[in-house]
Amino acid sequence: MAKRVISFKLNGVDRDELVLDNMTMVDFLRKQMHLTGTKRGCEEGECGACTILLDGKAVTSCTMLAVEADGHEIVTIEGVRKDGVLHPIQKEFIDKWALQCGFCTPGMIMSAISLLNENPNPTEHEIRDGIAGNLCRCTGYVKIVEAIASAAKIMAKEVAK
Amino acid sequence: MAQTRNEYWSEIRSVYKDPKDYVLAGRGNAYVRIDAEAKVTGTAVYTDDVYLPETWYCKLVHSPYAHALIKSIDFTEAEKVPGVKGFLTGADFPEGHNLGNPEAFKELADKEPLCRRKVRMVGDEVAAVCATTEEAAEEAARLVKVEYEPLPVLLDPFDAMALDAEPIHYPADQPGTANNLSIFTVMKAGDPDKAFEEAYYTDKSYYKTQEMVHAAIEPHGAIAKYENGEYTIWSTTQGAYVSRYWVAWGLGVPESQVRLIKPMVGGGFGGKLDVFAHELCPCKFAERTGHPVKCILKRDEVFKCTRTRHPISFQIESAFSKDGKLLAKRCRHILDGGAYGGSGIAANTLSLICATFPYKVENIDMIARRPYTNHPASGAMRGYSACQVHFAHEIHMDEVANHLGIDPLELRHKNEITPYYTGPTGLEFTSCRFKECMDACAEAIDWKNRWRYPKGSGQAIGMSGSGFMSGTGFPVLVTPHYCSSTTIVRLNREGYAVVYTGANDIGQGCDTVMAMIVAEELGLNMDEVKVVQSDTTTTPWDAGSFGSRVTFLGGNACHHAVGDAKLKLLKHWAEEWGCKPTDIKMADHRVFLPGDAEKNISYNEACYGYEEKNFGRCVAGVGAYNHEGDKDVYVKNVGNYATAYSFSASAAKVTVDMETGAVTLDDFIFGHDCGRPLNIRAVEGQIEGSVLLGFGFTCYEECVYDKDGRHLNPSFRDYRFPTALDMPNITTKVCSEYDEEGPLGAKEAGEGSTAPVGSAIGNAINYATGLVIKELPITPERLWKALREHERTGKTEFGGEDLPEKFANMPPLPKRYNV
Repeated sequence: MAKRVISFKLNGVDRDELVLDNMTMVDFLRKQMHLTGTKRGCEEGECGACTILLDGKAVTSCTMLAVEADGHEIVTIEGVRKDGVLHPIQKEFIDKWALQCGFCTPGMIMSAISLLNENPNPTEHEIRDGIAGNLCRCTGYVKIVEAIASAAKIMAKEVAK
Repeated sequence: MAQTRNEYWSEIRSVYKDPKDYVLAGRGNAYVRIDAEAKVTGTAVYTDDVYLPETWYCKLVHSPYAHALIKSIDFTEAEKVPGVKGFLTGADFPEGHNLGNPEAFKELADKEPLCRRKVRMVGDEVAAVCATTEEAAEEAARLVKVEYEPLPVLLDPFDAMALDAEPIHYPADQPGTANNLSIFTVMKAGDPDKAFEEAYYTDKSYYKTQEMVHAAIEPHGAIAKYENGEYTIWSTTQGAYVSRYWVAWGLGVPESQVRLIKPMVGGGFGGKLDVFAHELCPCKFAERTGHPVKCILKRDEVFKCTRTRHPISFQIESAFSKDGKLLAKRCRHILDGGAYGGSGIAANTLSLICATFPYKVENIDMIARRPYTNHPASGAMRGYSACQVHFAHEIHMDEVANHLGIDPLELRHKNEITPYYTGPTGLEFTSCRFKECMDACAEAIDWKNRWRYPKGSGQAIGMSGSGFMSGTGFPVLVTPHYCSSTTIVRLNREGYAVVYTGANDIGQGCDTVMAMIVAEELGLNMDEVKVVQSDTTTTPWDAGSFGSRVTFLGGNACHHAVGDAKLKLLKHWAEEWGCKPTDIKMADHRVFLPGDAEKNISYNEACYGYEEKNFGRCVAGVGAYNHEGDKDVYVKNVGNYATAYSFSASAAKVTVDMETGAVTLDDFIFGHDCGRPLNIRAVEGQIEGSVLLGFGFTCYEECVYDKDGRHLNPSFRDYRFPTALDMPNITTKVCSEYDEEGPLGAKEAGEGSTAPVGSAIGNAINYATGLVIKELPITPERLWKALREHERTGKTEFGGEDLPEKFANMPPLPKRYNV
């Protein structure tokens, strides 16, 4: 299988990486970059555990090829905490017990970030819609929805400041 | 019933904190999880995240046939794939070292690590491939040529029980003597025949539940290495020690040479209890190649080759007095066991135990049979047997109430279990707030005005109740080891404590609970308690996460361990200070005699002083806890199954689209008697997750097979469970009292709570439609068909139509287990 060099930004850092043409983004992140926060749950775009941000929008990294990142910006769960400070969504997930086994959590948080990027003041239904592509088997989603709603309020206050 | 074991046990209890002084980690009972930050930042390490240099990959070769003989296996083509390093077949494992659960009878260990001569389900593992990359291993596995001779396929459990059926495990001595039962259970008490004769009301009803899967988002997998003659495996297990036993047995090596580490586990729900080929094959390859070897299942493999929930067919006969007293029950439960036993064996007895409560019934005549079929093996699943049983029995309860003209809630109240009741087969109930659970749900859902939604209007509310064992002492995968929980706690003079817990945190949060229990007793902060996760080399024995035993047994073991350490420390200072150990308190990082300013030292000083007097020996405590039950419970079927019992009630409000059959769950109330909640957010989280599983069970999920036993929907695309858009708001009502025996007063929360969900939703759907649906899942398609047929013919009962004839024509129980 052919390889090529791609240039892209990963968690804020410019990178040039040699990748296999047929390698999925999730495998590239996990096996080549050792960023294992992005999870493999179904590898067909159904469970959302591998969700990352591509130019600020949530995508499932198992249904994109690594080469597609060429010229784009990728953020994974490892890039969400900035300078040692947790993102408000991460903080609210901790405080509200919005996780149990934690396997869907990275993908869930990436979807939540994408949602709040586009819609900083979502209704409950819009939050549920925003994470409808992320399956969680543990929580019944109740506390996840609560955490995202609470984070949205906190982020709105920060913006107002 | 667990008793006060000995004097030392009482002495330990004497230094426990007074429950009224509990601070529960200083944040009321909403302290945060100790693993939360790792999980929200992506640094938490799960099995697939364990990366060792030079790791090679293993892939399994699965049978495409549900029942066949293996004629030959040919690796010629597979060998040509670049990067392939080796192959395994059944012959690479010691013959006769089968995996499973010889709980009552030794033939129940029935699963070969890799099949040698016969496959019994689609997905059965026949060979394994090792290669330098995952992709090469996958390609090579596809190229392994296996020649099969197909055998007749048995998918219906009733067909499988026929005397002329194709034998699945046990060869028939002569034609017409097939025995495909993996296990059966008979449970009798009182005089049911007399009770039925004398009863005002009797009935006979049929119900059926489907096959579903656990669907933990983390797929099963393992990574193994072999060094210094020892295998080390990181595995997605719910019980490190029990898995270790079976891995060692399957490999034919002593347990001392296998170390099993449970990293973070991405959900289990019972599906990660059994031991699998994907754990054994990497071990063998690691030994042969000297490389670490990883095997992570793909989602379709998880669907096809791991475990499922038992589909159960029910025949229920009940006898009631005119005023609604439950006099007797006659039940026949047929559990589709699938191809193997494993953790699924316990389902049979449990299905009967579950049918004896949460209502008092003195006269019972119950038989459960678990035939083998060529479906994937059924196993343990959250709310083990209880979900299916309480669906059938609680839908039935409403039917009886409506026949008798008694309000369903009142009928339940007339028969509810009360505190300290002993059941007909010896279940010893202790704390019980079942009544309060039902009343809390009824009030929150406004049950008394339930006819504001007239029957058949497309909207309705439904209720149900259930109970569950809290802290079973019985193994679901038996080993020669005692089925207890053990913990070691070490107090460090540098100002912290370490807890070495055998309890297996698979996401439910038990590591956090253990840290809290230790922090509570020692007066430390949560971040001053370090938890060493389950690992057979560093943590003591624990039987695993199942049977709602973790908080109750593991929590008590941990409480006992910290109590042992605390007692040693306080005895030392009592001597120094001339007082009794019970006079000394530990709080806010201080050890002190209340009211005496002189006798008030830091935790660090206290530990240091002890070590100084004891030649440097640190303060350490060992704790263990078990349920003192009869180990022959699965043979005798009489006795007390658990240390305590939790109780639950549910109320659901649904809207049914009478045009399309689509069900919307508008509101859900859950009343739970879980003893003292140790963390209210954890309890709510468990309940909210239970509602998701219960809703999926009732309205969404079903594994579908073709006539040859091929799984038709092994993906999240085709096997749908509720998303965030499907789930309602959920209100939790904790209706508990402090349980005397529970750790800090707690009972189980999270497993039994799945049991009443399905029947509350089912009852609501029945009132909303005016029909009685007796078979799961209640999908829009099924409901639409039922509604249309009702319009055409007036038929009101749907589901299980094939069962009366099948139950009437069952063969007798096999002679060798004659009852």
